This record gives sequence, C-alpha cells and structure tokens, in this order.
Amino acid sequence: MIRWALKSLLSNKGSLLGSAAGIAGAFILVIFFDAVFRGESTQIVAYAENTSPDIWVMQKGVANMHMATSFLWDWKADNVEELEGVKRVTPISYLNTIIRAGEVEAFAFIVGLLPDADRAGPWEMGKGRKIEKSGEIVIPDVLAKLTGTGIGDKVMITDRAFTIVGLSKGAYSSANAIAFVPFDDLESILKSGGTYSFLLVDLEEGYDPRMMAAKIKNEVEKVNALTQEEFIRNDFAMAMQMGVEIIFMMSVICSTLAVLITGFTAYMQVVKKKREIAIIKAMGTGRASLMGGILMQSAMIAFTGFIMAAGFSFVIIPHIPALAPQLTLVVSFWAVAKMGLLAIVISIAGALIPAWNVTRLDPALVFNG
Amino acid sequence: MFLLVWRKLKLDPLKTLLTALALGSVIAVMLVFQGFREGQYFQLSRMVMNRQGDLIAVQAGVSNFIAVRSTLPQFSRGEVEAVPGVSAVHPLTTIGLIYEQDGIRTPLYLVVYDTLGGPVKLSEGRTLKEDHDIIIDKSLAKKHNLKAGDELPIYGFGFKIVGIVEEEVAFMMPFAYASYEGMLDLYFETEIAPDITIFPMLSFMLIEVSPESNREDVAKAIEEAVPVVDIFTPEQLSKHDVALGKLFFGPIIGLLVTISSIIGFLVMGLIMYSEVNGEIRNYGIMKALGFSNLKLAGVVIAQALLLVLFAMPAGLALGAGLAAFINETAPLYLIRIFDYTILLQTALASLIFAAAGAMIPFLTVQRADPMIVFQEVQ
Repeated sequence: MIRWALKSLLSNKGSLLGSAAGIAGAFILVIFFDAVFRGESTQIVAYAENTSPDIWVMQKGVANMHMATSFLWDWKADNVEELEGVKRVTPISYLNTIIRAGEVEAFAFIVGLLPDADRAGPWEMGKGRKIEKSGEIVIPDVLAKLTGTGIGDKVMITDRAFTIVGLSKGAYSSANAIAFVPFDDLESILKSGGTYSFLLVDLEEGYDPRMMAAKIKNEVEKVNALTQEEFIRNDFAMAMQMGVEIIFMMSVICSTLAVLITGFTAYMQVVKKKREIAIIKAMGTGRASLMGGILMQSAMIAFTGFIMAAGFSFVIIPHIPALAPQLTLVVSFWAVAKMGLLAIVISIAGALIPAWNVTRLDPALVFNG
Repeated sequence: MFLLVWRKLKLDPLKTLLTALALGSVIAVMLVFQGFREGQYFQLSRMVMNRQGDLIAVQAGVSNFIAVRSTLPQFSRGEVEAVPGVSAVHPLTTIGLIYEQDGIRTPLYLVVYDTLGGPVKLSEGRTLKEDHDIIIDKSLAKKHNLKAGDELPIYGFGFKIVGIVEEEVAFMMPFAYASYEGMLDLYFETEIAPDITIFPMLSFMLIEVSPESNREDVAKAIEEAVPVVDIFTPEQLSKHDVALGKLFFGPIIGLLVTISSIIGFLVMGLIMYSEVNGEIRNYGIMKALGFSNLKLAGVVIAQALLLVLFAMPAGLALGAGLAAFINETAPLYLIRIFDYTILLQTALASLIFAAAGAMIPFLTVQRADPMIVFQEVQ
C-alpha cells in the first residue's frame, strides 16, 4: 500500500511540486517573520558586540541599552578607573531618537564620543573618515543609501545639523541605525552636562569580569555593572520578546494554511485514484494499511514542502538584504527545525480528511462505469 | 460558465469546501499581513490623535511624537500661553522605561499628563487620583498578568495600577499614564535620575486654540514668539510618525504579502491543475467541438476567477476571525483588515494570482487530444 501511495503521488509530479511549493511558502512566511525579528534583535546588540568591553557600567536600575535611558555622573567614571584591575574606562553618551536626512526620517542610536574614545566608535568604515570635530557625524552606509545622502551632506538630530564625514559598515538596522557624533554635541542636545550614559570598562588580563562587575556595583555609588555577556543577553532577549507573540500567531496561521494545502492535495489524490483504492479494498487490504498509505502521501507532500522551505531559508533569505539593504535577516537553525517538527503535525492533520474519505469508499465502486 | 462552475461545485461538496478553505486561507493570510501593517500605522497615528489638543508644541527640530526625546524649557509654557489665540496649554512628558517582571523586560512609554492628554479608552478601574497611581495598557497587563490594584514596580518605585486602558500601544510598545506628582516621586525616590534637571520635565505641550482664532495663524504666531518650540497640528505629527512606521514596516510586510501572493498563485495553480486533470476528457470534447486553445484558456481562467470570488467571503470571514483572535489574545498587535484599500488590494491581488495560477495547467489543456474522448473511462 505504501509503495502504491508513493507511486501514485510521484505519477503526478506537478501536483506534488505545486502543493509542496505552497506549503514551503507557508513555512517561509514563518521563517522570514522570525528572521526579521532575529535580524533586528541581532543588530540591536551590534554596537555592544563590536565594541566588546569586559563590563558595561550604567545607571542603577538600567540593565540594557535598547530603548533605555541612562545617566551617570562623570566622577563615577573616575571611581571605576581607580579600581584595581581596571585597564581603561571609555565613557559614551547615548540617545535613542530620530535622525532626519532631507525628507526621510529613521530611528537611530546616537553615540556621543569623547576625542580619545576611538574604541567605542565605528568598528568598520566604508567610506570617509571618523569624526574629529564638532558638527561632524558618521552614519551607516545603508542609511546614506536609503536617504540619498553622502559625504559632505547634512543630517539633522533635533534642530542640530551635522555634516556627514564618514559612512560606517554593519551599523544599520530598521530599528536602530547607529550614528556617531562628538560627545559635546550630544551632551548639548541632551542638556546633560557632567554626565555620561554608559561606561565601557576594559580589564587588565587575569581579572574575572563577573567579580569585577560585582565589585564596581559595591564600590561605586548607585550604578549597575554587567558583564558583556549579560548586557548583550538582556538587549537581545528584550528585542526578541517584542515579537514572540506575533511570531507564534503567524506560525499557527501559516501552519493551518499548510495543513489545508496538504489535505487538499492528499484528498485530490484519493478522489483521482478512488477506483484503484476501491480495487485495493476489494482485494482485502486492511484499514491500517490504507491509512498508512494516505499518511505516507501526506508526509511526503509536507516534507517536500519543508525541504524546499529549508533550502530557500538557508540559500535565498540571507541574500535578500543585498536587494533590500534596510532589512537585517538572520535565519535561525531552530526556527527552521521547528518547521520540520510542524511538518510532522501537518502530515497527520492533512491526512485526516482523505483518510476519512478512504474509509467510506465502497469497494463496489470498481464495477461502476 | 457560471452555471457550469456552480454545478461542479455542487458535485463534490467536500472538495468544494476544501478548495474554498485553501483559497480562503491564502486570502486570509494576505489580509492578516496587510492588516498587521495597517494596524501598526493606525496605532502610530492614533497615539498622537488620542492626546487631543488643537496644536502640539515640540522641541525645535523635533517632528515626531514616538521614539524621540523632546525637551522643552519650563518657561516656554508661559510664553506659549501668552500668544494671542491660545486659550489653554497642557503639559505632557514622555519617558521611555523598561518594565521587568520575572526576568522578562518590556519597553514601556510612560506618558505624564496633567489636564489633557491622558488615556482615552479606560476599560477597567479608574482615572488617576493619588500620586502613585498609574494606568497601563491592556497588552502590558495581559503579558505580565497584571490587574487594577496590583503594584507596578519600575526601577524599584512602586506605582499602583488603578486602571487598564485599551488601544494605547504603538510600535509594539505599550503606553502607561501617570501624573506629574507620580513622575516626580519616581525621580526622587529611585536613582534613575542623578539630577532632576537631566530628566525631561516637559516634553510636549498640548495647545487649545480659542474658537475665534485660526489654528494655522496661531501656530505661526507661537513659532515666531517662542523659537525653542516647533508647532504641529496633531494630523501633521501623526503623519510623520506613520511615515517613520512605513520606513520600518514597509519592506518587511511588502515581502510577506508578496510571499503570500506567491502561495496563492501556487495554490490556485494546484487547484486548477487538479481540476483540468480531472476534466481532461471534457477539454478534449471541447477541442473536438472546435474550441481554440485561447478559448480553452479563457474557460480555465474564468473558472479560477469564479473560484476566487467564491472563496473571498470565506477568506474575509477567516481573516476577520484571525484578526479578532490576535487583537484579543495579543492586544499589542492591531490587525486592521476592514480598510477599503486593504480589501481592494487583496481582492485585486487574489484575482491576479488566480488568473496567473490558472495558466499553470494550461499546457495540459493545450496538449489535450480530442481523441481522448474515445478512450475508455479510467
């Protein structure tokens, strides 16, 4: 029976491929949605990942960077620097706001850099140079492309105009384009004289970041200190959390669609071959064997769809940002694997209707004209 | 043609149901994605419009309400009040905060208001009375299992939830409302502000214009008299926020809608392929009767278009059901499908993918040999 099921399905390759492609599309929708949130979440931690200090120090009560506001008195940076084991402290100011280039506005993380704070600046330059004096800005190359701006053009942050002197690479996502401006300029926009937002702390070799973070929290008044790992984990988890429910719901919706496509194809196979099935039944083939055949057809459709979706996800999706640079897409192995598990459920659910149809099929049908 | 299709549909009700469901679900998926995009834009627009006021004052150079830091000097309120044509000025402060419970962090937009600009659709509890009172959006309440009467600790400061409000979310972020007394207590009792001067005390001003004055003239007069502010109508500000949302959501949802249209095309192709294969003898007869390939293509396309037209109500019903389900279980994401542009776009896209999908089995039709009529029924 199973051999018959496979043979009958393969005899109609167009139908198999069409339905598998439809199911693949449904899977791709979910994987793509997940890739968007994962991509944005990954990019949200791009700054922290690339600057990579051992410890992040921020205002007490704050535990991440995305959408957070943190202010520390400047003398706290001196306190941290005086601690044994601290090699270097790089303060930055930071503002989550909107950057305007011509008529286009984009979300941006604005990082204010002190003159000697190169280690907290752009990690890869595509064009131009880093900031040197007041009124200069480095923006991501993708943002420049989207807004049609380039070196020498002006962008606005609130009512302040900045001249683009450099274009950085790897610093853009839709939710946070990272721009770098001189510290004093951002301080003036924030009206936050005498304060920093975050301290990037590098340790001497041999010092444990976790122990040092605890020491900073103990010895410096009203600050929070987190290791690089914790800091990134907090931001990434929060960003992903924002999309968890909608990704789950889209998964349910798209899986239902996949079940219907599988069910439809398997059902059409039964309808088309009902005389053959009637003969098989008349020859005494048991119900379990018939069900096995239907399930096999259903599983084959679902898994062909899954393989097509997995192929598309790993081969095509990573290249989409080349066409649409504003998208940051990260395909997760687990998101694809989940679709594989879902394919099992879809195989069973999709087999239900045709299986019910087969059980009702009268062997006497074989004698009909 | 209509009669022929109708008879075919009646011939196998289960197949008809499955076909309608399969096509209907593709239409529903397209509606949900487009509704998600429109819902996001609508939420962004609504957040500004809900604040009321004839005009809104923002920090000079700022032109959005969402995701910006606007800081106005305290004295500017008096200066705006003094402009002829201004009948009242209401302060508004917005602060981005992170709420953490059981290890889950949720970004929260706290709106501090005094006499205007508060929540609109209170579904549970009451408005603000005490200093520590806070009103939160239903999505935050649902996510963290909070209700009126519970404490909402932010950075260690204990707000008391006194009301749950509906539809106060934007950009996948819930809003919360507190009084100025509450905000000051938050600043003083916690350590989030090293100095009170650093945190914004005044972000926006909601301006009421006297009935006899012209809104645009008053806006111009304020900008001239108080250079530290820019003045927008709520419509202008909401338009800017929506434009920002479009930059973010546009390409993402555009791709999702394209993928769902491709699925629709494939499903339609699959359905028509099965149809044509099952009816290949009839197509042979039609060919024998002198139907040209072009005419036969017309028959297949007409059938596909009719099928989609039949599936549309099912798709709309499914889409509406899904939207209602999502809106109820995850109120952070508004799915807004009952918008004539969405309905028109989806209907048009469905008809296009149906016509295109119907062409998939056309090769089979083209190859149908009139001699097939004389073959024995398989």
